[in-house]
Amino acid sequence: MTVEIALFAYLADYQPDGLGGRSPRPFELEPGTTIDAVIADLGLPDEPRVVFVNGKHAAEDSLLGDGDRLAIFPPVAGG
Amino acid sequence: MADGPTCPAPVEPYDDPALRSRLAASHVAIVGCGGLGSNAAAMLVRCGVGELTLVDFDVVEESNLNRQLFFRDQLGMPKTIALSDTLLRINPDVTLHIHTECVTAENLETLVEAAAVVIEAADSAEAKEMIVNTALDRLPDTPLVSASGLAGFGSANEVVTELMAEHFYLVGDLKSDVRLGNSLFASRVMVAAAHEAHAAVRILLGYPEA
Repeated sequence: MTVEIALFAYLADYQPDGLGGRSPRPFELEPGTTIDAVIADLGLPDEPRVVFVNGKHAAEDSLLGDGDRLAIFPPVAGG
Repeated sequence: MADGPTCPAPVEPYDDPALRSRLAASHVAIVGCGGLGSNAAAMLVRCGVGELTLVDFDVVEESNLNRQLFFRDQLGMPKTIALSDTLLRINPDVTLHIHTECVTAENLETLVEAAAVVIEAADSAEAKEMIVNTALDRLPDTPLVSASGLAGFGSANEVVTELMAEHFYLVGDLKSDVRLGNSLFASRVMVAAAHEAHAAVRILLGYPEA
């Protein structure tokens, strides 16, 4: 199945193509893949983050489906 | 899961009494009363928002005075109390709900569920993560405005408001992190606070960022 993945802010450096930027990239994933597994495969750091699927907030143990759009945003400190 | 508010219908844009009436009847919750929250609260009161919920556990310290809406004679006071005193000096008729406590994943929903819009105005990345994840999970129909990336002296023009996901509005440049050694400047913090306040105003008037 194909899932579009967008990584925001410093997480963009973890896109496997090394090009950075927040634009979504297509990933071929096995059916039954969870968001947790994608985060582990990308090697994202264990830092605060918020996860969205298809523009809605999602839990990290959620299953992804074909055509889903996954976005991961890391809040940074300051206020 | 509570049935929360959704974005209100648009008010007639050139009908000033209707615009003012909508804001006077509106309730915004602000989670965190530091650089973002104290300044956003004052702007919302000046815009005529009639009801605010203010949540913060902390007291006013000297190090806050470089960017937060507090005064030297308020040092040591709970930020919620000091801020409410100031807001009531601006508009004695504003209704304020004060919660001098630490917001948690367990109490957030109860603290803010009466509001039409919630503003995340915490300082640490961990607190922002908890507030955003909890609010979007428990109150998915309540618009949430959050800020991330406002430290340093980078261009104020990099601080923007965008619709990140359904009912989730994000303010900031997304990247300028205090933990990277960026200082906090009142001018840029207040730009972000103004973005948060104005995002809330636009939501309340029925013209949210698209």
